[in-house]
This record gives sequence, structure tokens and C-alpha cells, in this order.
Amino acid sequence: MAVEILLPKLGFSMEEGVLSEWLVADGASVTEGQPLYTLESDKSAQEVEAPATGTLHIIIDSTGETYPVGTILGEIR
Amino acid sequence: MVTGSNAPDVATLMRIYRRMSSIKQNDERMRATIRAGKLAIIYYSPRGQEVIPSAIAEHLNDDDYLVTIYRGIHDQIAKGVPLKSLWAEYAGKVTGTCKGKGGPMHITHPETGVMVTTGVVGSGMPIATGLALASQMSGDGRVTITNFGDGASNIGAFHESLNLASIWKLPVVFVCQNNGYAEHTHYSEGTAVENIADRAASYNMPGVTVDGNDPVAMWKAAQEAVARARAGEGPTLLECKTFRFMGHLLGDDSHYIPKEEMAAALEKDPVPLFRQKLIDDWQVPAADLDKLDADIATEIDEAVQFALDSAYPDLVENKRDILAEEMA
Repeated sequence: MAVEILLPKLGFSMEEGVLSEWLVADGASVTEGQPLYTLESDKSAQEVEAPATGTLHIIIDSTGETYPVGTILGEIR
Repeated sequence: MVTGSNAPDVATLMRIYRRMSSIKQNDERMRATIRAGKLAIIYYSPRGQEVIPSAIAEHLNDDDYLVTIYRGIHDQIAKGVPLKSLWAEYAGKVTGTCKGKGGPMHITHPETGVMVTTGVVGSGMPIATGLALASQMSGDGRVTITNFGDGASNIGAFHESLNLASIWKLPVVFVCQNNGYAEHTHYSEGTAVENIADRAASYNMPGVTVDGNDPVAMWKAAQEAVARARAGEGPTLLECKTFRFMGHLLGDDSHYIPKEEMAAALEKDPVPLFRQKLIDDWQVPAADLDKLDADIATEIDEAVQFALDSAYPDLVENKRDILAEEMA
């Protein structure tokens, strides 16, 4: 079953974040908990972990762009 | 190992460990769920502070009152709020403790004595003092526990509450979970006294400082304070020294905490330390603890699924619980 990679809320007033960089290539295998991408919000930049183990399918690869909380960034199948 | 008549037995210690493990695992799951984007909420991790409510709970009845704060999920779990209702409320679902209308900051569950959770620093203590006054007037025998952080002891309501509770000898225990940081400010930069318990002297009540990460010391200190309240002898200010591992709120990288201080605290993580102590000093088989931890993980799995699968309150529900009469 595919697990969606959703842009998380990681701050008190965070409503959107910048997808800075994917740390894993599209189509590569990932392990749950492994750093998956870098997210910038108003106060900090941090690495966000893979929510599941499987193969990464990137849906949004335009790094440097801003997206709202809840945006589907990719899937792990 | 503590021995003697006034010492917890192994069954007591196992119950304390069970609560600690529930709180730790629940916290790990909550953080993972939020970081995976499945819950978009503000979260204040209690990781590192598991011992305090887990030991206090040994001395409380189901109907004793609890008032806690936004960093309070450890207090709520230790008091016995069912994980399903708790997760559902965190997720804002109609199956939650407040039918999805309270949210993480306002967990309320009178069935287990959790009378209110507050989102404003220092605002729980006057409410707890009022609950204790009600218990004294009605003679219901209940004790009220009110939790707050070190920063809250600089708020006026702290001083007013302690003063009134002492004058009227109310059955309340003021539990300061001193984790060394008020939001991003180190204790020494915001609080004039070395120990918050010293402030009890101003209000003529016992002030006790205890290692809040030591389950046995915590059990004993809570036993005395709760017994005193229950006997009608009045309140106690119980300062439990602890540390928080995950910053003020999720997303805070704790950059204001010196790396050495954080590393030293993590080295003394109370949950694995106590687990090992049960094995070494109390001959608890590791397999028993493995099973207990695994059972808790299953219970949390079910709670998360229940919360995610539940519905949000509808528009009709949103009009309920506002006025005494049903709104049209």
C-alpha cells in the first residue's frame, strides 16, 4: 500500500514550507526513519524522515518552491 | 535499591514502568505521525519527563482531579485517559475526549479526573485551587494535582494560588515539572531562586525538591504530598527536577541548549535506565518487559488508526456544548 509523503506542520504558526532538497533519488529504496528531504519554514531548516519503508516516488520535484502544509510531495510504495 | 516498609514493591515499580513506557512510545508515535504529515497540529513533547506523573499516579484514585498544561500528554496518559479518545482529540475527531472541539491544548476527561488542560502558562493553578476548594466544601475526599513548568512559577497566579490554598488548607499538590527551560530561556535567566520549592516558605507550606527522573524518590515524595492533602493538612509544593529532550515544541531544534547539557541528559534517559534497573535489581525477566512494551505498541497502533479513521465533528455537533440548552 502506498504511503503518502505529506508536507508536515513543524512550528507554531507554520502554514507552508519550502521543499529545499530531496535527499534520496526518485525510484530509490528508502527505510522508515531515514532522512528523506529538507524542509525550510519561517524559523528553521530541517531534515524530514521517510514515513515508511519502500520505493520512493517523487511527485513534486521542483525544489526551492513553497507549498502549503498537507501537500503530497511523493509516495512510498 | 530502596528497602524497608516505606518502599515500593516490584508490582508497584512495574506499574510505574508501564506508564513510562506508554508515554515514551506514545510520544515517539505522535512525533512520527506529525512529521509524516498525517496530523497537522502543534505538539509539545513530554519526552524525558515520563517518571513524574507515572510515579504520582500510584497514589491517586480514578476520581482524584488533575489539571495540566499544554505539555501534558504524559500527565493525561498516566492519569488513565484511554489512548483512543486521547489520539482522537489530538486529531480533532468527534470520537475524542472533547468530541474534537478541544484539541491538543485542552484535553478534558472527567471520567478519569482530567478536569482541564490549559494553553496559557500558569493558568491551571487557580482552577486547581478552585477544584480543591470544592472538594473541601463537599467533603468528597478527592485530591487535586496541578502540573506546571518552571517558567509558570514566575506568574502571579502561581503565588495567588499557593497563598489561598495554604490559608484554607486545601487538598491540592502543586507539581512543578522543572525541566530547566521556560520555552527558550534557561532557568537561571528567568527565575531568581535556586529551587522553586524554596518559594513554598512564603506561603507556609512544605516545599520539596525531588529528582523527578528517579521513580523511587518520586514515588516517595508524591506519597507524602498526596497523603498530607488527603488528610486535610493542606497543600505541598513539589518541585520535580527533570529535562525535556525534544525542545519546547515539535520543530524546535533546541539550538539554545548547550550540546553537552543535552548529551548528558540523554545519557541519563530515565526510561531505558529504569528498565535496566528492573532487570538488574529486581530480577524482572527481560522477556516480560519486552512483552509489556510490545503490548503497549499494539495498543498505540489501534489508537492511531481509530483516530485517523474517525470523523470530524459536523456542523450540528459544533453547536452543542456551548449553551446549557441545545441551540437551534
